[in-house]
Amino acid sequence: MSGHWTSWMPLLVLASSLVTALIIFTLPENRHITRGLLNLTGAVIKIVLVVVMVIGVERGMEFELRYTILPGVDFILRADGMAMFFAGLSSVLWLFTTLYAIGYLENSPNRSRFFGFFSLCVTATMGIALAGNLFTFLLFYELLTLSTWPLVTHRGTEKALKAGRTYLIYTLTGGAVLLGGVLWLYGLVGDVEFQEGGLLRHTPEALHGQLSLVFAVLIAGLAVKAAMVPVHGWLPVAMVAPAPVSALLHAVAVVKAGAFGIVRVVYDLYGIEFAASLNLLMPLGIAAAITVLYGSLRALAQSELKRRLAYSTISQVSYIALGISLFGPVGTIGALVHLLHQGFMKITLFFCAGNYAETLGVHRIDELDGAGRRMPLTSAAFTLGAFGMIGAPPLAGFISKWFLGTGAIAAHMHWALWVLIASSILNACYFLPIVHRLWFRPQRGDWPAEQTLSDRFETSGWLLWPAVATGLCIIGAGLFAGLPFSPLSWAQLVASREYLQ
Amino acid sequence: MSAAALLLPLLTLALPLLLACAWVLPARWHPWLHRLTALAPLPALLLALLAPADLSLMLPGVLFGGLWLLDSLARALLVATALLWLLAGLYALRYPLATDEKTPDDGGQPGGSARRFQVFWLLTLAGNLGLLVSRDIAGFYTCFALMTFAGYGLVVHTGRAAARRAGRIYLVMAVIGEMLILSGLILAAAGAGAPALQVLPDAIAGHRHGAWLAALLWLGFGVKAGLAGLHMWLPLAHPVAPTPASAVLSGAMIKAGLLGWLLTLPLGIITLPWAEIALIAALVAALGGALIGVTQQQAKAVLAYSSISQMGLITVIVAAGLIAPGLWPVLGPAALLYALHHALAKGTLFLGVNGLAPRWRPLLWLPALSLAGLPLTTGAAAKLTMKAGLYDLAFPGLMLWLSLAAVGTTLLMLRFMFCLQREAGDKMPAGLMQGVTMVAVLASVTGVMWAVPGMGADWGARWGDAGDLFGLFWPVVVGLIIGGGCWASLRSAQPTGVVRAGVPAGDIVVVIERVLRGIGRLWARRPGKDWRWEKVVQWEDDHLHRIGDVALKLERHLQRWPIILFILLALVLAGLLVR
Repeated sequence: MSGHWTSWMPLLVLASSLVTALIIFTLPENRHITRGLLNLTGAVIKIVLVVVMVIGVERGMEFELRYTILPGVDFILRADGMAMFFAGLSSVLWLFTTLYAIGYLENSPNRSRFFGFFSLCVTATMGIALAGNLFTFLLFYELLTLSTWPLVTHRGTEKALKAGRTYLIYTLTGGAVLLGGVLWLYGLVGDVEFQEGGLLRHTPEALHGQLSLVFAVLIAGLAVKAAMVPVHGWLPVAMVAPAPVSALLHAVAVVKAGAFGIVRVVYDLYGIEFAASLNLLMPLGIAAAITVLYGSLRALAQSELKRRLAYSTISQVSYIALGISLFGPVGTIGALVHLLHQGFMKITLFFCAGNYAETLGVHRIDELDGAGRRMPLTSAAFTLGAFGMIGAPPLAGFISKWFLGTGAIAAHMHWALWVLIASSILNACYFLPIVHRLWFRPQRGDWPAEQTLSDRFETSGWLLWPAVATGLCIIGAGLFAGLPFSPLSWAQLVASREYLQ
Repeated sequence: MSAAALLLPLLTLALPLLLACAWVLPARWHPWLHRLTALAPLPALLLALLAPADLSLMLPGVLFGGLWLLDSLARALLVATALLWLLAGLYALRYPLATDEKTPDDGGQPGGSARRFQVFWLLTLAGNLGLLVSRDIAGFYTCFALMTFAGYGLVVHTGRAAARRAGRIYLVMAVIGEMLILSGLILAAAGAGAPALQVLPDAIAGHRHGAWLAALLWLGFGVKAGLAGLHMWLPLAHPVAPTPASAVLSGAMIKAGLLGWLLTLPLGIITLPWAEIALIAALVAALGGALIGVTQQQAKAVLAYSSISQMGLITVIVAAGLIAPGLWPVLGPAALLYALHHALAKGTLFLGVNGLAPRWRPLLWLPALSLAGLPLTTGAAAKLTMKAGLYDLAFPGLMLWLSLAAVGTTLLMLRFMFCLQREAGDKMPAGLMQGVTMVAVLASVTGVMWAVPGMGADWGARWGDAGDLFGLFWPVVVGLIIGGGCWASLRSAQPTGVVRAGVPAGDIVVVIERVLRGIGRLWARRPGKDWRWEKVVQWEDDHLHRIGDVALKLERHLQRWPIILFILLALVLAGLLVR
């Protein structure tokens, strides 16, 4: 371990939320202001650290912390382009979600426990982002499972506990399968670091058959958190969690951890070109396409807002896997950029769903009639999220779909374009009726459980402004995609480094 | 690139969008915002009239590289479009827009639904003006989509059952159109590499499956242009919208489809194998629209069918360009001129539906007969230019067919005036609305010629050939005789036959709805009872749930034994891999 400051940066990023978590656990329940301040300070410090590293990585600097745990097994935290992609997303959305959660959980019990695990969950996510090899990745991956379980079951109801149990069964089994894959790989080639272009392509040809099998096992393990069909069952059930948790689960933490794991395995462990030469991409693409369509079809049949959003997540996250399977830089850009865009869009939608539930007591879609006039800003943000998901320009989702579509053509996988178009039509089928209800239907009777949370605005500012801010990000990420440091530009930078060979 | 070029996106896009956002301000600002909203197209109109030639702007940071250009094509369309929006906006100042009485939370001035209308008005305006000057693929598509989706707010504004039905069909067709365009653009752009629209025609011409790509774009933009078979949203949506919105829908927004064709299709480069089919379909629309339109009961529905018929004629010109690329230099300006003429004439007629006192109503004969092509009107100039190009195509029966369409248009216009007389009666519109309508009449008869560079100069020279003049004249006379006879007989006797029963507005969509209704009944096994969309949604819910239940059961089993699943999954994947 060198004493240079650059090697401490990744650790500091983790510490900014880990230390917050530890202090919050020890805080008494009624110290609301201290806890809020701590949370926000941690979140801001993390963003500053991440920004410093993003600029550093863009200029070619190395941020690496390496520590040998056992002979042959290293603990590595490293900030490369791919890591900063996920870390940037997590740190920004963590700030918004923290603000939102402070407002959402006002006057509810067990907040120290909640925010403690909340911070721990983000620590795990950052660890996943910065992990420099499979071992470190697995460590944080399991930490994520354990730290999100108390959040899912936070309400303590029968239903929440049941959902928590389902969640644990799925994710722990997935983790076990992943562990199996990691051990198998370790047995074959030892400890392999993540590196742009992938290191496994240097392995002797005799091992290629086994490597293909290992690939299948690793992806199967990761697919659980990425909620790919048929191992997606935990996600709709986990909807009982409080809105900020759902937002985090769907946009940053759990499903994204799975998707990011697939990205790491394909690009930085096997290397996209090696994976393509082993014919590993096509099965992945088919599995992703099935998930994309199945998720959308199931979303269509939901009558509860959050459940519809949950199935929509299943569909949208697999766009990432679909993009990975499109061999060529354009498809890679599409996959990476969607990792970010989907986060912003889905978190906005969940914030809004939470606002409707908290302010009006609305949970079902058919209760939303006329909500646009009662809550115009929330509904505007929801509309942005919905149109982004459909892929309407100039929103973030359009950039994703454009690159995924052109990537499909470039990879000579035209069927993927038609999957995207079919999915967009399905997205329109299940989002546009909601938007219609919001703006064009008259309100029917009283709201189920209306609360006045603010005198000036439609709802509490803590709930409103995060949704508006992420809504604006959806426009910004799409409209100004050509600017440096936009998600698209960063994805292009990262993708260019994956195809150097 | 100059600082003035920045005005292109600022005045066409940013200004209306900012105004739309400003409507969140408290109620005391609303009277001002109301006026500003009406004037929102004025800066863009001035820009179109005063800007130097070929103003262009490139902003690499916007989307995939933003590109704006004010060439002669964009300028001509911008003048007509902004003018029509401006007139319609002023007209809307006095048009009763509030559909709801109780709006305590909005301060009641103007009502909540009127405010909603203003916001969607501005969003649609931004899209429509923006797409005229956007010349990068993503920017053009952005404006197109903005206009389409915001236009939904104008169509369903009144909230009545007919408006909701029209809105639903509008939206379904819009999504289909957007997806066709998106897939066409992606397929064409994937090989082109540059983000500019101007690379697309060559890219499609050089593409292995160019004809298919062009077909996707033809149909996608054709939804907006009211192509035969994709037109059914049009006669439903245009009549139910508030009158100022009908005017811009039928006059201006419909031309966005044409512009899409002009900018993306390989016109003048290659011959497309399906172009003759497209030409025949367009001829069917030109005459069929008129025939169905004559049986309509509502003045606005008659006008909507006339739009289908007229857009059919424009489509004939474009399709002819796809058959004979060599003729495009003549046909291109003809299509543009016809579009400009139709934009103002049709917009004016729509405004005239509620906009003139009985004694001024005969003024509407001017734009009406101009549409039919009466000599010395803009319509005649447009038709002459069109025919000059089409003579060389030597398509059998084309000229006769076009003349029959002109007879049809004359009949349509008679039918329109007849319905208008019956509907409007002695109503006395507000002074502002009357003034605006008269300005529109004036602009539609004369103004359009000035906008097209070169057209003003030689438009006097076009009246030389007597044969041409006769060709224009006889369809109008025949139409007037037939129509006049019908009118006279209708006054004395009760209408019978087709004229009485009429073809329901939306024609084939009614058939489609009936088929869907039948399927719905069959599946639901619930005979009788009125069919309503809510029921279909309910049915979908019930039955998809049943499909969903099977999936749910499966999911429950899987939940119990995930490890088995993993083994299965790993085995399947492994099986796929080790072949």
